[in-house]
Amino acid sequence: MKKKTLEFLEAHQSETPSTWREEAEWRRENWPWLRHSQKIAVKVLLQMKQEGLTQKLLAERMDCTQQYVSKILKGKENMSLDTLSRLEDALGISLIYDEQVAYPNMVAEEAFA
Amino acid sequence: MTFDKILDNNTLWAVRYEGVADNALQTLFSQWSDPEWLVDFFLANMSDLESYFKITDINQAIYDTIDDNQRMQCLILDLSPEADLDKIFRPLENSRTSEMLLGKEKAKIKDRPQHASWLRIYAIKLEPGCYIITGGAIKLTRTMQEREHTLKELNKMEQVRNYLISNQAIDADGFVDFLSEL
Repeated sequence: MKKKTLEFLEAHQSETPSTWREEAEWRRENWPWLRHSQKIAVKVLLQMKQEGLTQKLLAERMDCTQQYVSKILKGKENMSLDTLSRLEDALGISLIYDEQVAYPNMVAEEAFA
Repeated sequence: MTFDKILDNNTLWAVRYEGVADNALQTLFSQWSDPEWLVDFFLANMSDLESYFKITDINQAIYDTIDDNQRMQCLILDLSPEADLDKIFRPLENSRTSEMLLGKEKAKIKDRPQHASWLRIYAIKLEPGCYIITGGAIKLTRTMQEREHTLKELNKMEQVRNYLISNQAIDADGFVDFLSEL
């Protein structure tokens, strides 16, 4: 980079450091479960919009705090099966079993050969 | 506005706008992985998704965005000091083939299955191989002028470009020399 441009940018650098890299690295490190958490949050949010359900009401149905519901909706919560089941019951939708495994995916003779 | 160094070799920077806690790249990655932000965005722009991409399933559109954001983050995180940023950023106007002083550029994910990626990172090209990120958008329409959120990104690029020019941040003579070498 040309010296003049670099000097200008360095002279106008932000006073506090950016958190972009550590946040992006955290998302990458936790991606295996984070992607599910984010996608479940999307489903929950859409269902809430459909029903006109508030966070407060959902928290009451789940018997948890509104703060916890807020955490779930941010898609950064590594939820337990217990939490997922309570979410499903509160919303009346399926979150855990989306697709069925086709089994046996072979003819009977092959399976017992 | 101030600037954050994204790569230690000084080839990639991002703008931090006044009144915003972090830079434009952090804002994008954070928004594109925020389910609440994404649901609100796609509910407001569902008709564009249907008209331009023929996609009617909002769930799938948001899942694709989350996955594409992850790919985009990894792409930036994994940039080596030797990476050629000219291969990642392209002129904003598809018709532009020649270099221009502080040109407006875009980056997007290529070779995405099923549909083209709608995620865009926008930048100003400081010189060959050096860029400053000004923002980004989920672009669902053919042109940026068609929607307020993409038009805003165009204006941000212009604002940063003007700021750099008025503060004489770039060496215009050097750019003329560079052009003559082409």
